[in-house]
Amino acid sequence: MNNLSSHGNKILNDFNPFKNFKLENYKYAQLHKDHTSENFSDSSYDYNELLKISHNLQKTDFEETDLSFKVDKWNFNSVDSYFRVSSLSSRSSLTLNLDNFSQEVLLVDVNHFNENISFTKNSSKNQTLILITSNISNPEPRSIFFDLAENSNLEILQLALSNNRSFIYFEIDQSDFSKMNFITFQSNNNHIRNEYYASLGEKCELNLLGLNFKNNFINDNFSYIQHLKPSTASNEIFKSIVDNGAITNFQGKIYVDPIAQKTDGYQMSRSLLLDSKSKANNKPELEIYADDVKCSHGSTVAKLSQNQIYYFKTRGIDEQTAKNILQKAFLVEIIESLQNKEIKDFSMKLLDNLI
Amino acid sequence: MLNIKDLKASIEDKQIIKGLDLSINKGEVHALMGPNGSGKSTLSYVLSGKEGYEIDSGSVDFKGKNLLELDVDERSNEGLFLAFQYPMEIPGVQTSFFLKTAINAKRKYQGLEEIDALEFAKLVKSKAEELSISPDMLKRDLNVNYSGGEKKKQEILQMSLLNPEMAILDETDSGLDIDALRIVSEGVNKLRNENNSFLVITHYQRLLNYIKPDFVHIIADGKIVKSGNFSLALELEEKGYEEISKTA
Repeated sequence: MNNLSSHGNKILNDFNPFKNFKLENYKYAQLHKDHTSENFSDSSYDYNELLKISHNLQKTDFEETDLSFKVDKWNFNSVDSYFRVSSLSSRSSLTLNLDNFSQEVLLVDVNHFNENISFTKNSSKNQTLILITSNISNPEPRSIFFDLAENSNLEILQLALSNNRSFIYFEIDQSDFSKMNFITFQSNNNHIRNEYYASLGEKCELNLLGLNFKNNFINDNFSYIQHLKPSTASNEIFKSIVDNGAITNFQGKIYVDPIAQKTDGYQMSRSLLLDSKSKANNKPELEIYADDVKCSHGSTVAKLSQNQIYYFKTRGIDEQTAKNILQKAFLVEIIESLQNKEIKDFSMKLLDNLI
Repeated sequence: MLNIKDLKASIEDKQIIKGLDLSINKGEVHALMGPNGSGKSTLSYVLSGKEGYEIDSGSVDFKGKNLLELDVDERSNEGLFLAFQYPMEIPGVQTSFFLKTAINAKRKYQGLEEIDALEFAKLVKSKAEELSISPDMLKRDLNVNYSGGEKKKQEILQMSLLNPEMAILDETDSGLDIDALRIVSEGVNKLRNENNSFLVITHYQRLLNYIKPDFVHIIADGKIVKSGNFSLALELEEKGYEEISKTA
């Protein structure tokens, strides 16, 4: 776009991961490879079931808005995201205030939108927003913003299933005392990358959890969480089950500002490789400038435990059933973290069907 | 019921069981005693079919079938049960779900329909009460954060639910306090009848005061070196393994 600032142009030209495969933040995502498969689609979720438990938001519910100013309003202590700049400069944007809806569960099928979307929430009413980002065939990056006002509270479930290529930038801006519970459910995608940039105000809480089950080529999650004020908590757990030579990546950075004392940051990425061809790359990063903080991170890569399978078999349970149960047991923690019971039950069923 | 003939078995090219003979009939309780490293637990793993154990020679006949040809889960469904010395922790799997899955696996093998939810709840409740297992424990993840005693009770609960014809108890008494030992033993004694058999593996005679064996065998260096009745266990307690093995 011609009216981009020099900053925006620099990002587009010098930090394009689709051309430059040496960028640190995109190191394992291999976006320069076009791994598109023909006729790739196999959604295994029951859309009608979802519609029964949620209110489906239409395009007419949204307002047009201009977010292009955000290109020069980058609030993070890191290099700007290419996904963000490219989507802000190439797509128009819509906004929606979630407080305008009384329903507890709202659904947005992102496939019906070409725009970037910005959600705002001011109230502390329990609300769950389901974002369907499944079957996306247009791989141009897009941005989704969440703006949580003071004391507000929101739960997100992203269903990213059966995407050929999907590249989404999420930005979470939490004002003081707000709470966000973000769960992403990713399965059977070909090439997918989610970016999460979050900044937390005083006494904010962010849970960011991911379930990655049997994706195909590359499944990549990148997070950058900024603790900018005192007494904030972030909790990240990503769990992946990988097979058939696929690759799962998790790269997450926790940044703690000098004034963000009493920060409590936790980050865990765990992968289960079902065969020796598959891979997991985990890269935790901590950047801490305050001295009274608690930050921990961990990462595990393992295969299914033969001893556990043996234990099941000594109780008459056949090997395949044992493996299925153990896979579900590994992932179930992510689904358990959903607050809304109907959504939790739906997600549990979805996982059962996939396994 | 179980007939082991000249069994030799190795792990990682090291022979642990070196020509073991043991015959257990219906309705009998046999105790297998021996020092550390004599091959007690190895025998239980070999009989259950654990991967990594090589059978070098010999045979094991279970109810007229060649046990060594069956997969681990088939052996269980045929009626063989191993109560582990160190039961495996399974995070993320609720105990009651695991029990139900095991019961249904056996029922499926027997050509029966899945157990009715209400029937299952009643069955587990009554068996758990007998073993002083709290209902709360059944809701927890299997063996995760269980005490040593709770883990052993859980093994006996599984045994009573699966009602095996041949049960091997591998050092079930280890890590148990006196009360837990009594409860676990009572659980085993309740299951005893003329149609099933037990192989009780232990270091100490103490367990055998509660579970009275018909026969006692002493294993040393992968072989049974002496067999007798309950008095052999008493003699062993008095003289120790070394002395007894010498006189064998």
